[in-house]
Amino acid sequence: MTILFKSWHHYLRLTQRFPSVGSIVPFIPVVALWWLVTALELFPRVFLPGPGDVLRSFGSLVYKGILPDYLQDSMVRLAVGAFCGIALGIPLGILIGMSRHAHTALWPVLLFFQAIGDIAWLPILVIWFGYGLVSMTFVIVYTVIFPVVLNTVLGVRSIPIAMHRAALSLGASRWQVLWEVVLPGALPNIVTGLRNGLGYGWRALIAAEIIVGTSGIGFLMFDARRAGSTVEILLGMIILGILWYIVDSWILAPIERATGQRWGLVSK
Amino acid sequence: MKSLTIRNLSKTYFDLYAGTNHTAIHDVSLEVAEGDFVAVVGPSGCGKSTILNMIAGFIPLSGGEILVGGRPVKGPGPDRGVVFQSFALFPWKTVLENVAFGPKMRGVGKAEREAIAREYLALAKLTEAANRYPNELSGGMQQRVGVVRALANNPDVLLMDEPFASVDAQTRMTLQEELTRIWQEKRPTVLFITHDVGEAVFLANRVVVLSKGRVLDDIGIDLPRPRSWDALNEDADFKALSNRVLQLVRSA
Ligand SMILES: Nc1ncnc2c1ncn2[C@@H]1O[C@H](COP(=O)(O)OP(=O)(O)OP(=O)(O)O)[C@@H](O)[C@H]1O
Ligand SMILES: [Mg+2]
Repeated sequence: MTILFKSWHHYLRLTQRFPSVGSIVPFIPVVALWWLVTALELFPRVFLPGPGDVLRSFGSLVYKGILPDYLQDSMVRLAVGAFCGIALGIPLGILIGMSRHAHTALWPVLLFFQAIGDIAWLPILVIWFGYGLVSMTFVIVYTVIFPVVLNTVLGVRSIPIAMHRAALSLGASRWQVLWEVVLPGALPNIVTGLRNGLGYGWRALIAAEIIVGTSGIGFLMFDARRAGSTVEILLGMIILGILWYIVDSWILAPIERATGQRWGLVSK
Repeated sequence: MKSLTIRNLSKTYFDLYAGTNHTAIHDVSLEVAEGDFVAVVGPSGCGKSTILNMIAGFIPLSGGEILVGGRPVKGPGPDRGVVFQSFALFPWKTVLENVAFGPKMRGVGKAEREAIAREYLALAKLTEAANRYPNELSGGMQQRVGVVRALANNPDVLLMDEPFASVDAQTRMTLQEELTRIWQEKRPTVLFITHDVGEAVFLANRVVVLSKGRVLDDIGIDLPRPRSWDALNEDADFKALSNRVLQLVRSA
Protein backbone atom coordinates (compact mmCIF):
# COMPACT_ATOMS: atom_id res chain seq x y z
CA MET A 1 0.00 0.00 0.00
CA THR A 2 2.76 2.42 0.99
CA ILE A 3 4.61 1.54 -2.20
CA LEU A 4 1.55 2.43 -4.26
CA PHE A 5 1.19 5.64 -2.32
CA LYS A 6 4.84 6.53 -2.80
CA SER A 7 4.89 5.85 -6.51
CA TRP A 8 1.72 7.90 -6.93
CA HIS A 9 3.53 10.70 -5.15
CA HIS A 10 6.51 10.35 -7.49
CA TYR A 11 4.16 10.37 -10.45
CA LEU A 12 2.53 13.60 -9.28
CA ARG A 13 5.92 15.25 -9.04
CA LEU A 14 6.88 13.96 -12.45
CA THR A 15 3.72 15.44 -14.00
CA GLN A 16 4.55 18.77 -12.44
CA ARG A 17 8.00 18.77 -13.96
CA PHE A 18 6.88 17.34 -17.33
CA PRO A 19 3.20 18.18 -17.91
CA SER A 20 3.16 16.12 -21.12
CA VAL A 21 3.68 12.98 -19.01
CA GLY A 22 0.46 13.82 -17.20
CA SER A 23 -1.45 14.03 -20.46
CA ILE A 24 -0.24 10.68 -21.82
CA VAL A 25 0.11 8.30 -18.88
CA PRO A 26 -3.60 8.26 -17.85
CA PHE A 27 -4.43 6.80 -21.26
CA ILE A 28 -2.11 3.80 -20.88
CA PRO A 29 -4.62 1.79 -18.79
CA VAL A 30 -7.44 2.76 -21.16
CA VAL A 31 -5.57 1.55 -24.22
CA ALA A 32 -4.38 -1.56 -22.34
CA LEU A 33 -7.96 -2.45 -21.40
CA TRP A 34 -9.05 -1.92 -24.98
CA TRP A 35 -6.23 -4.11 -26.21
CA LEU A 36 -7.10 -6.79 -23.65
CA VAL A 37 -10.77 -6.85 -24.63
CA THR A 38 -9.93 -7.21 -28.31
CA ALA A 39 -7.12 -9.74 -27.71
CA LEU A 40 -9.53 -11.94 -25.76
CA GLU A 41 -11.90 -11.69 -28.76
CA LEU A 42 -14.87 -10.98 -26.49
CA PHE A 43 -16.45 -9.28 -29.49
CA PRO A 44 -15.91 -10.18 -33.15
CA ARG A 45 -12.97 -8.28 -34.65
CA VAL A 46 -15.16 -6.58 -37.26
CA PHE A 47 -17.25 -4.98 -34.51
CA LEU A 48 -14.40 -3.95 -32.26
CA PRO A 49 -10.96 -3.66 -33.87
CA GLY A 50 -7.89 -3.42 -31.64
CA PRO A 51 -5.42 -0.55 -31.14
CA GLY A 52 -3.03 -2.07 -33.69
CA ASP A 53 -5.70 -2.13 -36.43
CA VAL A 54 -6.61 1.48 -35.78
CA LEU A 55 -2.96 2.52 -35.83
CA ARG A 56 -2.45 0.76 -39.19
CA SER A 57 -5.52 2.44 -40.61
CA PHE A 58 -4.20 5.77 -39.35
CA GLY A 59 -0.93 5.12 -41.18
CA SER A 60 -2.58 4.24 -44.46
CA LEU A 61 -5.02 7.17 -44.38
CA VAL A 62 -2.18 9.57 -43.68
CA TYR A 63 -0.19 7.97 -46.48
CA LYS A 64 -3.06 8.39 -48.93
CA GLY A 65 -3.38 12.02 -47.89
CA ILE A 66 -7.05 11.69 -46.98
CA LEU A 67 -6.64 12.23 -43.27
CA PRO A 68 -4.51 15.40 -43.46
CA ASP A 69 -6.97 16.91 -45.95
CA TYR A 70 -10.01 16.07 -43.85
CA LEU A 71 -8.31 17.24 -40.70
CA GLN A 72 -7.47 20.53 -42.32
CA ASP A 73 -11.05 20.95 -43.56
CA SER A 74 -12.46 20.39 -40.10
CA MET A 75 -9.98 22.70 -38.40
CA VAL A 76 -10.51 25.50 -40.94
CA ARG A 77 -14.28 25.27 -40.49
CA LEU A 78 -13.89 25.39 -36.74
CA ALA A 79 -11.50 28.34 -36.96
CA VAL A 80 -13.75 30.33 -39.32
CA GLY A 81 -16.84 29.59 -37.25
CA ALA A 82 -15.11 30.32 -33.98
CA PHE A 83 -13.68 33.58 -35.28
CA CYS A 84 -17.09 34.82 -36.45
CA GLY A 85 -18.72 33.61 -33.25
CA ILE A 86 -16.20 35.47 -31.11
CA ALA A 87 -16.30 38.61 -33.25
CA LEU A 88 -20.09 38.76 -32.86
CA GLY A 89 -20.42 37.31 -29.37
CA ILE A 90 -18.05 39.50 -27.35
CA PRO A 91 -19.43 42.89 -28.50
CA LEU A 92 -22.99 41.61 -28.10
CA GLY A 93 -22.23 40.32 -24.61
CA ILE A 94 -20.64 43.62 -23.61
CA LEU A 95 -23.59 45.58 -24.96
CA ILE A 96 -26.10 43.43 -23.07
CA GLY A 97 -23.95 43.42 -19.95
CA MET A 98 -23.53 47.18 -19.86
CA SER A 99 -26.90 48.47 -21.02
CA ARG A 100 -30.08 47.69 -19.18
CA HIS A 101 -32.06 48.64 -22.30
CA ALA A 102 -30.12 46.22 -24.49
CA HIS A 103 -30.63 43.54 -21.87
CA THR A 104 -34.38 44.13 -21.75
CA ALA A 105 -34.68 44.10 -25.52
CA LEU A 106 -32.34 41.25 -26.44
CA TRP A 107 -32.27 38.78 -23.58
CA PRO A 108 -35.60 37.01 -24.29
CA VAL A 109 -34.76 36.73 -27.98
CA LEU A 110 -31.36 35.30 -27.10
CA LEU A 111 -32.85 32.64 -24.84
CA PHE A 112 -35.40 31.73 -27.51
CA PHE A 113 -32.75 31.14 -30.13
CA GLN A 114 -30.47 29.36 -27.71
CA ALA A 115 -33.25 26.84 -27.12
CA ILE A 116 -33.53 25.93 -30.79
CA GLY A 117 -30.12 24.27 -30.75
CA ASP A 118 -27.51 24.09 -33.45
CA ILE A 119 -28.32 20.94 -35.37
CA ALA A 120 -32.00 21.83 -35.50
CA TRP A 121 -31.06 24.55 -37.96
CA LEU A 122 -29.52 22.17 -40.48
CA PRO A 123 -32.65 21.18 -42.41
CA ILE A 124 -33.54 24.77 -43.23
CA LEU A 125 -29.90 25.75 -43.75
CA VAL A 126 -29.41 23.03 -46.35
CA ILE A 127 -32.39 24.37 -48.25
CA TRP A 128 -31.07 27.91 -48.05
CA PHE A 129 -27.34 27.42 -48.53
CA GLY A 130 -26.86 23.82 -49.68
CA TYR A 131 -24.20 21.39 -48.48
CA GLY A 132 -21.24 23.63 -47.92
CA LEU A 133 -19.12 25.90 -45.82
CA VAL A 134 -21.89 28.46 -45.30
CA SER A 135 -24.24 25.97 -43.64
CA MET A 136 -21.49 24.56 -41.52
CA THR A 137 -20.09 27.93 -40.51
CA PHE A 138 -23.57 29.03 -39.53
CA VAL A 139 -23.97 26.03 -37.24
CA ILE A 140 -20.61 26.60 -35.57
CA VAL A 141 -21.15 30.33 -35.14
CA TYR A 142 -24.55 29.54 -33.72
CA THR A 143 -23.08 27.13 -31.17
CA VAL A 144 -20.08 29.25 -30.22
CA ILE A 145 -21.99 32.49 -29.82
CA PHE A 146 -24.29 31.59 -26.92
CA PRO A 147 -21.71 30.52 -24.36
CA VAL A 148 -19.56 33.51 -25.38
CA VAL A 149 -22.42 36.00 -25.03
CA LEU A 150 -23.78 34.56 -21.78
CA ASN A 151 -20.37 34.40 -20.13
CA THR A 152 -19.41 37.86 -21.36
CA VAL A 153 -22.61 39.29 -19.87
CA LEU A 154 -21.83 37.49 -16.62
CA GLY A 155 -18.28 38.85 -16.65
CA VAL A 156 -19.34 42.42 -17.36
CA ARG A 157 -21.93 42.32 -14.60
CA SER A 158 -19.58 40.80 -12.05
CA ILE A 159 -17.29 43.85 -12.15
CA PRO A 160 -17.86 45.72 -8.86
CA ILE A 161 -19.45 49.14 -9.28
CA ALA A 162 -16.56 50.64 -7.27
CA MET A 163 -14.24 49.68 -10.15
CA HIS A 164 -16.27 51.77 -12.61
CA ARG A 165 -16.43 54.61 -10.12
CA ALA A 166 -12.69 54.48 -9.47
CA ALA A 167 -11.94 54.72 -13.19
CA LEU A 168 -14.36 57.62 -13.72
CA SER A 169 -12.94 59.49 -10.72
CA LEU A 170 -9.47 59.09 -12.18
CA GLY A 171 -10.68 60.81 -15.33
CA ALA A 172 -11.54 57.89 -17.60
CA SER A 173 -13.98 58.55 -20.44
CA ARG A 174 -16.73 56.05 -21.26
CA TRP A 175 -14.55 54.43 -23.92
CA GLN A 176 -11.60 54.30 -21.59
CA VAL A 177 -13.79 52.60 -18.99
CA LEU A 178 -14.79 50.05 -21.62
CA TRP A 179 -11.22 49.39 -22.65
CA GLU A 180 -9.48 49.64 -19.27
CA VAL A 181 -12.10 48.20 -16.93
CA VAL A 182 -14.93 46.34 -18.63
CA LEU A 183 -12.90 44.27 -21.10
CA PRO A 184 -10.13 43.15 -18.75
CA GLY A 185 -12.62 42.70 -15.91
CA ALA A 186 -14.77 40.43 -18.03
CA LEU A 187 -11.85 38.68 -19.73
CA PRO A 188 -11.64 35.61 -17.46
CA ASN A 189 -15.33 34.97 -18.05
CA ILE A 190 -14.96 35.64 -21.76
CA VAL A 191 -12.20 33.05 -21.99
CA THR A 192 -14.34 30.56 -20.08
CA GLY A 193 -17.17 31.25 -22.53
CA LEU A 194 -14.80 30.74 -25.43
CA ARG A 195 -13.57 27.49 -24.01
CA ASN A 196 -17.12 26.19 -23.59
CA GLY A 197 -18.20 27.61 -26.93
CA LEU A 198 -15.36 26.03 -28.87
CA GLY A 199 -16.05 22.72 -27.13
CA TYR A 200 -19.69 22.80 -28.20
CA GLY A 201 -18.70 24.13 -31.62
CA TRP A 202 -16.31 21.26 -32.18
CA ARG A 203 -19.06 18.73 -31.42
CA ALA A 204 -21.56 20.63 -33.56
CA LEU A 205 -19.09 20.68 -36.43
CA ILE A 206 -18.66 16.91 -36.35
CA ALA A 207 -22.42 16.43 -36.22
CA ALA A 208 -22.85 18.82 -39.13
CA GLU A 209 -20.18 17.03 -41.14
CA ILE A 210 -21.91 13.72 -40.49
CA ILE A 211 -25.23 15.10 -41.70
CA VAL A 212 -24.33 17.51 -44.51
CA GLY A 213 -20.59 17.10 -44.96
CA THR A 214 -18.61 16.17 -48.02
CA SER A 215 -15.28 16.13 -46.21
CA GLY A 216 -13.88 16.42 -42.69
CA ILE A 217 -13.46 14.08 -39.74
CA GLY A 218 -17.22 13.75 -39.22
CA PHE A 219 -17.65 12.87 -42.86
CA LEU A 220 -14.81 10.36 -42.62
CA MET A 221 -16.68 8.53 -39.88
CA PHE A 222 -20.01 8.66 -41.67
CA ASP A 223 -18.40 7.44 -44.90
CA ALA A 224 -16.72 4.62 -43.00
CA ARG A 225 -20.07 3.52 -41.64
CA ARG A 226 -21.38 3.22 -45.18
CA ALA A 227 -18.38 1.04 -46.02
CA GLY A 228 -18.78 -0.88 -42.77
CA SER A 229 -15.26 0.06 -41.65
CA THR A 230 -15.35 0.05 -37.86
CA VAL A 231 -11.60 0.71 -37.85
CA GLU A 232 -12.03 4.12 -39.47
CA ILE A 233 -14.99 4.99 -37.26
CA LEU A 234 -12.92 4.30 -34.16
CA LEU A 235 -10.01 6.21 -35.66
CA GLY A 236 -12.28 9.21 -36.21
CA MET A 237 -13.51 9.09 -32.64
CA ILE A 238 -9.99 8.93 -31.26
CA ILE A 239 -8.85 11.83 -33.44
CA LEU A 240 -11.76 13.94 -32.17
CA GLY A 241 -10.74 13.28 -28.59
CA ILE A 242 -7.05 13.93 -29.12
CA LEU A 243 -7.57 17.10 -31.14
CA TRP A 244 -9.90 18.60 -28.59
CA TYR A 245 -7.59 17.59 -25.78
CA ILE A 246 -4.73 19.44 -27.48
CA VAL A 247 -6.73 22.56 -28.26
CA ASP A 248 -8.22 22.72 -24.79
CA SER A 249 -5.35 21.84 -22.52
CA TRP A 250 -2.49 23.30 -24.53
CA ILE A 251 -4.12 26.50 -25.78
CA LEU A 252 -7.36 27.44 -24.02
CA ALA A 253 -6.67 26.35 -20.45
CA PRO A 254 -3.30 28.17 -20.27
CA ILE A 255 -4.94 31.38 -21.53
CA GLU A 256 -7.60 31.03 -18.87
CA ARG A 257 -4.95 30.51 -16.21
CA ALA A 258 -2.82 33.39 -17.44
CA THR A 259 -5.66 35.88 -17.07
CA GLY A 260 -7.94 35.11 -14.16
CA GLN A 261 -5.60 33.30 -11.83
CA ARG A 262 -2.73 35.76 -11.92
CA TRP A 263 -5.12 38.56 -11.12
CA GLY A 264 -6.78 36.62 -8.36
CA LEU A 265 -10.16 36.84 -10.07
CA VAL A 266 -10.41 33.06 -10.36
CA SER A 267 -9.25 30.69 -7.67
CA LYS A 268 -6.52 28.26 -8.66
CA MET B 1 -5.86 72.03 -4.61
CA LYS B 2 -9.14 73.85 -4.22
CA SER B 3 -11.85 74.35 -1.67
CA LEU B 4 -14.98 72.24 -1.36
CA THR B 5 -18.31 73.90 -0.65
CA ILE B 6 -21.55 72.10 0.09
CA ARG B 7 -24.72 74.16 0.34
CA ASN B 8 -28.13 72.95 1.53
CA LEU B 9 -27.45 69.46 0.26
CA SER B 10 -30.28 66.95 0.51
CA LYS B 11 -30.91 63.44 -0.71
CA THR B 12 -34.12 61.45 -0.87
CA TYR B 13 -33.96 57.81 -1.85
CA PHE B 14 -36.95 56.16 -3.43
CA ASP B 15 -37.51 52.66 -2.12
CA LEU B 16 -38.64 50.70 -5.16
CA TYR B 17 -40.13 47.81 -3.21
CA ALA B 18 -41.92 49.71 -0.45
CA GLY B 19 -42.86 52.47 -2.86
CA THR B 20 -41.92 55.10 -0.27
CA ASN B 21 -39.44 57.96 -0.09
CA HIS B 22 -36.66 58.01 2.48
CA THR B 23 -34.75 61.21 3.12
CA ALA B 24 -31.17 60.30 4.07
CA ILE B 25 -29.70 63.83 3.96
CA HIS B 26 -31.54 66.95 5.15
CA ASP B 27 -30.06 70.32 4.34
CA VAL B 28 -26.34 69.79 4.97
CA SER B 29 -23.94 72.70 4.49
CA LEU B 30 -20.20 72.32 4.86
CA GLU B 31 -17.07 74.16 3.80
CA VAL B 32 -13.65 72.56 3.45
CA ALA B 33 -11.01 75.22 2.85
CA GLU B 34 -8.21 74.75 0.36
CA GLY B 35 -5.59 72.42 1.88
CA ASP B 36 -7.73 71.63 4.91
CA PHE B 37 -8.40 68.18 6.37
CA VAL B 38 -11.98 67.67 7.53
CA ALA B 39 -13.36 64.44 8.97
CA VAL B 40 -17.05 63.53 9.08
CA VAL B 41 -18.13 61.14 11.83
CA GLY B 42 -21.47 59.71 12.73
CA PRO B 43 -23.20 56.47 13.58
CA SER B 44 -23.91 53.87 10.92
CA GLY B 45 -26.70 54.89 8.58
CA CYS B 46 -26.49 58.62 9.33
CA GLY B 47 -25.74 59.36 5.66
CA LYS B 48 -21.94 59.69 5.50
CA SER B 49 -21.49 57.60 2.37
CA THR B 50 -24.49 59.26 0.76
CA ILE B 51 -22.84 62.67 1.11
CA LEU B 52 -19.52 61.43 -0.22
CA ASN B 53 -21.16 59.67 -3.18
CA MET B 54 -22.94 62.87 -4.12
CA ILE B 55 -19.73 64.90 -3.90
CA ALA B 56 -17.92 62.29 -6.00
CA GLY B 57 -20.75 62.49 -8.55
CA PHE B 58 -21.69 58.82 -8.23
CA ILE B 59 -25.32 59.52 -7.33
CA PRO B 60 -27.53 62.52 -8.19
CA LEU B 61 -28.44 65.19 -5.65
CA SER B 62 -32.01 65.80 -4.59
CA GLY B 63 -31.33 69.40 -3.63
CA GLY B 64 -28.62 71.95 -2.90
CA GLU B 65 -25.27 72.34 -4.60
CA ILE B 66 -21.70 71.15 -4.47
CA LEU B 67 -18.86 73.43 -5.56
CA VAL B 68 -15.19 72.63 -6.08
CA GLY B 69 -13.08 75.77 -6.30
CA GLY B 70 -16.34 77.70 -6.66
CA ARG B 71 -17.60 75.72 -9.63
CA PRO B 72 -20.54 73.31 -9.43
CA VAL B 73 -19.72 69.65 -10.07
CA LYS B 74 -21.59 67.32 -12.37
CA GLY B 75 -20.91 63.58 -12.44
CA PRO B 76 -17.63 61.90 -11.46
CA GLY B 77 -14.41 63.61 -12.53
CA PRO B 78 -10.67 63.73 -11.92
CA ASP B 79 -10.97 66.95 -9.89
CA ARG B 80 -12.29 64.80 -7.03
CA GLY B 81 -10.07 61.83 -6.18
CA VAL B 82 -11.74 58.99 -4.29
CA VAL B 83 -10.30 56.38 -1.95
CA PHE B 84 -12.69 53.47 -1.46
CA GLN B 85 -13.25 51.26 1.56
CA SER B 86 -13.04 48.26 -0.77
CA PHE B 87 -9.79 49.65 -2.27
CA ALA B 88 -11.20 49.21 -5.82
CA LEU B 89 -7.76 48.62 -7.31
CA PHE B 90 -7.70 47.18 -10.82
CA PRO B 91 -6.68 43.54 -10.29
CA TRP B 92 -5.45 43.20 -13.91
CA LYS B 93 -2.99 46.04 -13.52
CA THR B 94 0.26 46.06 -11.58
CA VAL B 95 0.65 48.43 -8.66
CA LEU B 96 2.64 50.78 -10.88
CA GLU B 97 -0.04 50.73 -13.60
CA ASN B 98 -2.75 51.32 -11.01
CA VAL B 99 -1.02 54.42 -9.72
CA ALA B 100 -0.23 55.61 -13.25
CA PHE B 101 -3.88 55.17 -14.29
CA GLY B 102 -5.04 58.74 -13.72
CA PRO B 103 -2.18 60.34 -15.69
CA LYS B 104 -2.69 57.73 -18.43
CA MET B 105 -6.34 58.79 -18.78
CA ARG B 106 -5.19 62.38 -19.31
CA GLY B 107 -2.86 61.23 -22.07
CA VAL B 108 0.44 61.50 -20.20
CA GLY B 109 3.13 59.43 -21.97
CA LYS B 110 4.30 56.12 -20.56
CA ALA B 111 7.72 57.20 -19.30
CA GLU B 112 6.41 60.33 -17.67
CA ARG B 113 3.40 58.75 -16.00
CA GLU B 114 5.53 55.90 -14.65
CA ALA B 115 7.93 58.43 -13.20
CA ILE B 116 4.98 60.13 -11.48
CA ALA B 117 3.72 56.79 -10.20
CA ARG B 118 7.16 55.85 -8.84
CA GLU B 119 7.43 59.15 -7.02
CA TYR B 120 4.10 58.53 -5.27
CA LEU B 121 4.89 54.89 -4.57
CA ALA B 122 8.08 56.02 -2.86
CA LEU B 123 6.00 58.42 -0.79
CA ALA B 124 3.99 55.47 0.53
CA LYS B 125 7.08 53.22 0.86
CA LEU B 126 5.77 50.95 -1.88
CA THR B 127 8.71 51.07 -4.31
CA GLU B 128 9.36 47.35 -3.88
CA ALA B 129 5.78 46.44 -4.79
CA ALA B 130 5.65 48.37 -8.08
CA ASN B 131 5.52 45.33 -10.35
CA ARG B 132 3.27 43.15 -8.24
CA TYR B 133 -0.46 42.65 -8.73
CA PRO B 134 -2.92 43.90 -6.08
CA ASN B 135 -4.00 40.42 -5.03
CA GLU B 136 -0.38 39.69 -4.09
CA LEU B 137 -0.40 42.48 -1.49
CA SER B 138 -1.73 42.67 2.07
CA GLY B 139 -4.84 44.73 2.73
CA GLY B 140 -2.79 47.51 4.28
CA MET B 141 -0.50 47.72 1.26
CA GLN B 142 -3.48 47.65 -1.09
CA GLN B 143 -5.00 50.66 0.61
CA ARG B 144 -1.69 52.51 0.47
CA VAL B 145 -1.85 51.97 -3.27
CA GLY B 146 -5.45 53.21 -3.23
CA VAL B 147 -4.42 56.43 -1.50
CA VAL B 148 -1.45 57.22 -3.74
CA ARG B 149 -3.38 56.26 -6.87
CA ALA B 150 -5.85 59.02 -6.02
CA LEU B 151 -3.09 61.48 -5.05
CA ALA B 152 -0.94 60.81 -8.13
CA ASN B 153 -3.76 62.18 -10.25
CA ASN B 154 -3.38 65.49 -8.45
CA PRO B 155 -7.07 66.03 -7.60
CA ASP B 156 -8.44 69.31 -6.26
CA VAL B 157 -10.18 67.45 -3.46
CA LEU B 158 -9.50 64.03 -1.97
CA LEU B 159 -12.56 62.08 -0.78
CA MET B 160 -12.09 59.09 1.51
CA ASP B 161 -14.93 56.81 2.67
CA GLU B 162 -13.81 54.73 5.66
CA PRO B 163 -10.62 53.78 3.81
CA PHE B 164 -9.01 52.01 6.76
CA ALA B 165 -12.09 50.22 8.10
CA SER B 166 -11.18 46.83 6.68
CA VAL B 167 -7.58 46.49 7.88
CA ASP B 168 -6.41 45.27 11.29
CA ALA B 169 -5.91 47.69 14.20
CA GLN B 170 -2.09 47.85 14.06
CA THR B 171 -1.99 48.40 10.31
CA ARG B 172 -4.73 51.00 10.64
CA MET B 173 -2.63 53.05 13.07
CA THR B 174 0.35 52.91 10.71
CA LEU B 175 -1.80 53.96 7.77
CA GLN B 176 -3.25 56.85 9.76
CA GLU B 177 0.22 58.10 10.68
CA GLU B 178 1.34 57.79 7.07
CA LEU B 179 -1.72 59.66 5.86
CA THR B 180 -1.00 62.61 8.19
CA ARG B 181 2.61 62.62 7.01
CA ILE B 182 1.60 62.54 3.31
CA TRP B 183 -1.06 65.18 3.89
CA GLN B 184 1.51 67.50 5.51
CA GLU B 185 3.84 66.97 2.59
CA LYS B 186 1.30 67.45 -0.23
CA ARG B 187 -1.39 69.45 1.54
CA PRO B 188 -4.38 68.17 -0.44
CA THR B 189 -7.92 69.24 0.46
CA VAL B 190 -9.35 66.18 2.22
CA LEU B 191 -12.84 65.11 3.23
CA PHE B 192 -12.46 61.97 5.32
CA ILE B 193 -15.40 59.85 6.35
CA THR B 194 -15.28 57.47 9.29
CA HIS B 195 -17.33 56.11 12.16
CA ASP B 196 -14.16 55.89 14.30
CA VAL B 197 -13.99 58.95 16.57
CA GLY B 198 -10.33 58.43 17.49
CA GLU B 199 -9.40 58.24 13.82
CA ALA B 200 -11.27 61.45 13.02
CA VAL B 201 -9.66 63.41 15.85
CA PHE B 202 -6.21 62.00 15.11
CA LEU B 203 -6.30 62.90 11.41
CA ALA B 204 -8.32 66.05 10.96
CA ASN B 205 -8.17 69.78 11.54
CA ARG B 206 -11.93 69.78 11.95
CA VAL B 207 -14.43 67.09 12.84
CA VAL B 208 -18.01 67.36 11.64
CA VAL B 209 -20.51 65.24 13.54
CA LEU B 210 -23.39 63.99 11.46
CA SER B 211 -26.66 62.69 12.83
CA LYS B 212 -29.64 61.38 10.88
CA GLY B 213 -28.68 63.35 7.80
CA ARG B 214 -27.97 66.65 9.59
CA VAL B 215 -24.82 68.36 10.86
CA LEU B 216 -24.89 68.15 14.65
CA ASP B 217 -21.66 70.01 15.41
CA ASP B 218 -18.37 71.13 13.92
CA ILE B 219 -15.33 70.90 16.18
CA GLY B 220 -11.87 72.38 15.57
CA ILE B 221 -8.96 70.04 16.37
CA ASP B 222 -5.93 72.15 17.19
CA LEU B 223 -3.54 69.33 18.06
CA PRO B 224 0.04 69.96 16.95
CA ARG B 225 1.53 68.21 13.91
CA PRO B 226 3.24 65.95 13.05
CA ARG B 227 0.94 63.60 14.93
CA SER B 228 1.81 60.11 16.06
CA TRP B 229 -0.08 57.59 18.14
CA ASP B 230 2.83 57.27 20.55
CA ALA B 231 2.56 60.95 21.40
CA LEU B 232 -1.23 61.31 21.29
CA ASN B 233 -2.33 58.12 23.04
CA GLU B 234 -1.57 59.63 26.43
CA ASP B 235 -2.18 63.25 25.42
CA ALA B 236 -4.76 65.05 27.57
CA ASP B 237 -5.98 67.35 24.79
CA PHE B 238 -6.45 64.41 22.42
CA LYS B 239 -8.40 62.53 25.06
CA ALA B 240 -10.58 65.53 25.88
CA LEU B 241 -11.39 66.18 22.22
CA SER B 242 -12.07 62.51 21.55
CA ASN B 243 -14.40 62.35 24.52
CA ARG B 244 -16.26 65.43 23.42
CA VAL B 245 -16.79 64.07 19.91
CA LEU B 246 -17.72 60.67 21.29
CA GLN B 247 -20.40 62.20 23.51
CA LEU B 248 -21.85 63.99 20.49
CA VAL B 249 -21.85 60.84 18.37
CA ARG B 250 -23.47 58.84 21.14
CA SER B 251 -26.15 61.46 21.64
CA ALA B 252 -26.77 61.47 17.89
N1 LIG C 1 -29.34 53.12 -2.67
C1 LIG C 1 -30.11 53.38 -1.58
N2 LIG C 1 -31.46 53.26 -1.66
C2 LIG C 1 -32.22 53.50 -0.59
N3 LIG C 1 -31.75 53.91 0.60
C3 LIG C 1 -30.43 54.03 0.75
C4 LIG C 1 -29.53 53.78 -0.33
N4 LIG C 1 -28.26 53.99 0.10
C5 LIG C 1 -28.38 54.36 1.40
N5 LIG C 1 -29.66 54.39 1.79
C6 LIG C 1 -30.15 54.78 3.14
O1 LIG C 1 -29.67 56.05 3.43
C7 LIG C 1 -29.25 56.13 4.78
C8 LIG C 1 -27.80 56.57 4.84
O2 LIG C 1 -26.97 55.57 4.25
P1 LIG C 1 -25.40 55.73 4.15
O3 LIG C 1 -24.87 54.57 3.41
O4 LIG C 1 -25.09 57.07 3.62
O5 LIG C 1 -24.95 55.64 5.67
P2 LIG C 1 -23.49 55.68 6.32
O6 LIG C 1 -23.48 56.80 7.28
O7 LIG C 1 -22.47 55.67 5.27
O8 LIG C 1 -23.47 54.31 7.12
P3 LIG C 1 -22.25 53.31 7.38
O9 LIG C 1 -21.44 53.91 8.48
O10 LIG C 1 -22.93 52.06 7.82
O11 LIG C 1 -21.50 53.17 6.09
C9 LIG C 1 -29.49 54.77 5.38
O12 LIG C 1 -30.71 54.81 6.08
C10 LIG C 1 -29.59 53.85 4.19
O13 LIG C 1 -30.48 52.81 4.46
MG1 LIG D 1 -20.93 54.25 4.58
